Amino acid sequence: MTDSTAQGLTGTREDAQDEPLTIAANPPQRALGLHRELTKAWANDSGWWGQVTAVNHTTLGLRFMGTALVFFLIGGVLSMLIRAQLATHDGAFLDTELYNQIFTMHGSIMMFLFAIPMLEGLSIYLLPKLLGTRDMAFPRLTALGYWCYLFGGLIMLTALLFGVAPRDGWFMYTPLSSAAHSPGINADVWLLGVTFVEISALAAAVEITVTILRQRAPGMKLTEMPLFAWYILGTSVMMLVGFPPLILASVLLEIERAFGWPFFDVARGGDPLLWQHLFWLFGHPEVYIIFLPAAGVLSTLIPVLCRTQIVGYGAIVASILALVFLSFGLWVHHMFTVGIPHMALAFFSAASLAVAVPTVVQVFAWIGTMWQGRPELKLPMYYILGFFLTFVMGGLTGVMLAVVPFNWQAHDTAFVTAHLHYVLIGGFVFPMLAAAAWWMPQITGRERVRGLGEAAFWVILIGFHGTFFIMHLTGLLGMPRRIDVYTENPEWVWLNLTSSIFGFVMTIGFGLFVLDMALQAFMGQKQRRDPWRAPTLDWAMPLPAPAYTFASIPAPRHLDKEARDVTLPLARGEGLLPGAPRRRREFLVTSLAGARPDHVAILPGNTALPLAVSATIGAFVLLMLAGLYPLTLLPLAGVAALVWLWGRGMVRPVDEAPIPVAPGWQLPEQGLRRRTLGWSGSVCLLVANGTLFASLVFGVGFLAVVAPGWPGPEVQAAGRAALPGVVLAALMPLSGALAVRWAEAGQRRGSAGLVAAGLGLLANAVALGALAWLAAGHMDDPTQHARDALRGVLAGYVALHAFIAAGLGGFALDQTRRGEITPAHGGVLPTWRLWQDYAAVTAPIAAVLAVGLGMST
Amino acid sequence: MLGGAAVLTLLVLVLLAMAFGPPRKVAARRWTHGLGLGLSLPVLGVMLAAGLWVGERVLPRDDGALKIEVHAVQWYWEFTAPGSDGPVMTRDRLILPAGEPVDLVITSEDVIHSFWVPQLGGKMDAIPGRTNRLRLQADAPGVLVGQCAEFCGLGHAVMRFEVEVVDPDDWEDALRATADNGEAEDD
Amino acid sequence: MMWLARALLGLGIWATGFSLVYALHGTGCARGWPEVALAGGVDQHAAALWAGWLATLAAGLILLLRMPRVSAEAGLRHWLPRAGALMGVGATLFTLLPVALATSC
Ligand code: HEM
Ligand SMILES: [Cu+2]
Ligand SMILES: [Cu+2]
Repeated sequence: MTDSTAQGLTGTREDAQDEPLTIAANPPQRALGLHRELTKAWANDSGWWGQVTAVNHTTLGLRFMGTALVFFLIGGVLSMLIRAQLATHDGAFLDTELYNQIFTMHGSIMMFLFAIPMLEGLSIYLLPKLLGTRDMAFPRLTALGYWCYLFGGLIMLTALLFGVAPRDGWFMYTPLSSAAHSPGINADVWLLGVTFVEISALAAAVEITVTILRQRAPGMKLTEMPLFAWYILGTSVMMLVGFPPLILASVLLEIERAFGWPFFDVARGGDPLLWQHLFWLFGHPEVYIIFLPAAGVLSTLIPVLCRTQIVGYGAIVASILALVFLSFGLWVHHMFTVGIPHMALAFFSAASLAVAVPTVVQVFAWIGTMWQGRPELKLPMYYILGFFLTFVMGGLTGVMLAVVPFNWQAHDTAFVTAHLHYVLIGGFVFPMLAAAAWWMPQITGRERVRGLGEAAFWVILIGFHGTFFIMHLTGLLGMPRRIDVYTENPEWVWLNLTSSIFGFVMTIGFGLFVLDMALQAFMGQKQRRDPWRAPTLDWAMPLPAPAYTFASIPAPRHLDKEARDVTLPLARGEGLLPGAPRRRREFLVTSLAGARPDHVAILPGNTALPLAVSATIGAFVLLMLAGLYPLTLLPLAGVAALVWLWGRGMVRPVDEAPIPVAPGWQLPEQGLRRRTLGWSGSVCLLVANGTLFASLVFGVGFLAVVAPGWPGPEVQAAGRAALPGVVLAALMPLSGALAVRWAEAGQRRGSAGLVAAGLGLLANAVALGALAWLAAGHMDDPTQHARDALRGVLAGYVALHAFIAAGLGGFALDQTRRGEITPAHGGVLPTWRLWQDYAAVTAPIAAVLAVGLGMST
Repeated sequence: MLGGAAVLTLLVLVLLAMAFGPPRKVAARRWTHGLGLGLSLPVLGVMLAAGLWVGERVLPRDDGALKIEVHAVQWYWEFTAPGSDGPVMTRDRLILPAGEPVDLVITSEDVIHSFWVPQLGGKMDAIPGRTNRLRLQADAPGVLVGQCAEFCGLGHAVMRFEVEVVDPDDWEDALRATADNGEAEDD
Repeated sequence: MMWLARALLGLGIWATGFSLVYALHGTGCARGWPEVALAGGVDQHAAALWAGWLATLAAGLILLLRMPRVSAEAGLRHWLPRAGALMGVGATLFTLLPVALATSC
């Protein structure tokens, strides 16, 4: 932490961005030799088992995208069932129960199992290649995310097969989704399944953020990195902040359904509007989470296809920042008809209009780029033009919907269905199709078969607009969304029938697209080099991309050349950190803004641990669905044990000798640094966690101030007598924080910190004991009123963090005992300190809130 | 609004078509600031102002307008209007006087529903635990159709009602007539 | 990090102010602030909302004035923090405009 390049996430000296960075070239070696050496270190294990233990970003990125494509096709089949049902006015084909399940699953699959995983997959596949590194920051986390996604998705699909799929619409409004109005496991499948899947979203968000901020090739400054990385950085930060409200809402609703704690039930002090706020606090940013990566693809492809540079790089970066922020201030535009005062509606109407500005800036920057260059009408350009046509129309209807009186009319009608598909298909699917056409040669190492792709484009475009354009009209004529029959409005039949017919046309188009991909993968001519003459590093490698991506990591002098011109030097090891001489997976970690080399990260290899963890979480979900609540403690204990193993997997003997990176450049390995990638990952996770906590605080404030049914019944057990427990639970994490500091001081002096670590562990254990004492008789029945339920959740939140901090303390104790903590290497201590500090801050806040809730009587 | 949208879409398409000519030098700021900000901000400002103005005009006010209670139940509607001798309840049929503003006081029995008569104006949700107000005015006598606009479960598609707009003088008679057969009409 | 934080500060001020005014608005409607008259014929609700809006604007403007003026050619690194401050002020002006224009509860 002493020299200027070593400050990681906390801060790089401002001027470090301007000092030139010159690094000498390594001597060229035989490319094939390097390839063999690196492949031995980086390749997946062989056979089926190799797929299970794979943690490599190329493998997993492709697998994410492939799985997402399958879910897209399933979602598409469901949409065809919907369109078939709506083709006639009595829709005699599905019964209402099944129809409700089908449209709910269509929406949920498309949003949670197709769009988000697709963009995660694309980012995971592409980012290391684009940034000039060898893998994502946390490969095992990538794998964990994938398995959680797969298992969560399979649970939801299985429910559909057995006719018990969610049926309350993709936004699951309660009380319709409450235990009283939606008995059975349908709603639980959604709440638990989607939350399970969202583990992968959070995992991806954490590692994407860290990868972009700390793994860019040396010299690739933040202000000069490829726009795609800016877009994905915006996306991943939005995911860190956007998903927690949804996760909180789902957890609360599941607790309400399973254990009867009221949060949304008005009769007991809850409020259904709390669900809507939390859901849309996630739901609107979600739309931009989906759009930003697509826009990133466009910003990457358009300049290359026009043989020029992007117009307005800075304006685009500013637009991304504006979108990231503004899109969190719009969520109420989904709630314009719930009876909120006009001024509040107007705030959100204004914000919804304002968010159009950065989008418009980007659209014109792209058009400007096309003017400046000479657009080539290759297949990706077809889809880009399709994007412009479709997305502009969707954006304009979006602006209309932001106007309150118009929204009152069009809300929840087919007009909205049309709008959202214009935005999602125009703004996400078309750019993804362009991306597919663009990167398929890299993925398969083969050329496209001519003609079929263009045909698919035209059929999709015509099918799409034929399906959805007239739905604007259908909606304005008064057809609500989510209805299965319109017996008394036969005049809508022609409109709907037309939509349905074109819907099938679009499906044929997607069929052609998939066929095209399959033909390319299996029958295309070999393609050995970048077909696009792209400037970005993702093409500076042999095709298909090798497991280790770069035989040597690009140096500053490789960054401003065309990719094909640096492919060979990099393959011959002229870049940094060539080969795998230490037979392990290594890459460079650089500073946040100026990308100056900081240390060498050493990655864990292939392992089945991620699969084991997510299978255990899966067992938890299944037991919850089965209603066997006491048994869920088993998988929870299993997860805790596996996480411990996970942590042990990171422990290796620290190599004190510096690692040669280039002639005259040596860097320490990660164990000698405090701010490792893992530390940054914890910071990101705590940002998400803090948002979750903030959402909970919002929930407490919202119910206490706005919900009918307050104040609740007289406080009984949780009165003055409970105070000692509350104080202990609130302050013990703070003592833990002191203990960590003591342990760290000892570590630097070289004295074994057994006592300090032991005290830290004890402090957290006391906090847990105090909470157990409270739970055992000093809290009011949480099922009687939202106030008591909220207090229960606050206590649970504190308990969870005391437990995590205790676990880290125990881990530190164990490491100290084994002598793994040395003056140069702090082991788990920095991470423990982060989490302990977090617990120390949130516990008193939670305690104050819990006490305050009792006084609102 | 639709016309404006069409013009803007066309503008983008024309600009795109022109891009396929030879390369042209246009300052970047022309695109990002000139068109990006210069075009969007005025349009959006006008839309905000117009939306606010219309929105303000249709808000319910305390001016003694007729109040009718609307109670949504899975899956039917109960309307309670003040008759000259006590409240009169009708089911799935709302009687409105023509040419007068009416405030609907909207509540729900079970889940969230939404009151909507497309020909009369915007919708308003019926939310358990809350009372929402919606001001409507029907201009001419006739029969209109209304429906539940917020998905509310199995009967959502058939949660419909009729609105009978009558001359204000006949309003109370129509109300009574409907109240009588309201129960027989059970479905 | 510091650089990135500076670039985000303007929009951060907007986010804080927007949340604050929205929270004040909701609390005021729930607690009957519009009925509480303050000196000069202003009610407590309007006063709180205006104060929130103006304070946010002031914070944004102070930030903007403290950002060194740079031309667009100076490079993104110098230009972005100022653009961020500008966007923050613009967003505050536009999105909280209803404080002046709409019926409060
Ligand atoms: C493949 C072509 C597609 C067709 C033909 C299609 C068609 C439909 C239809 C007919 C509905 C039901 C509207 C109603 O209930 O009245 C619907 C709902 C929806 N669609 Fe699609 N869709 C397609 C693709 C997509 C994609 C790609 C996405 C997202 C990325 C998507 C997201 C949604 C959502 C979120 C809903 C709302 C579901 C709900 O109401 O709960 N759809 N779609
Ligand atoms: Cu939205
Ligand atoms: Cu209904």
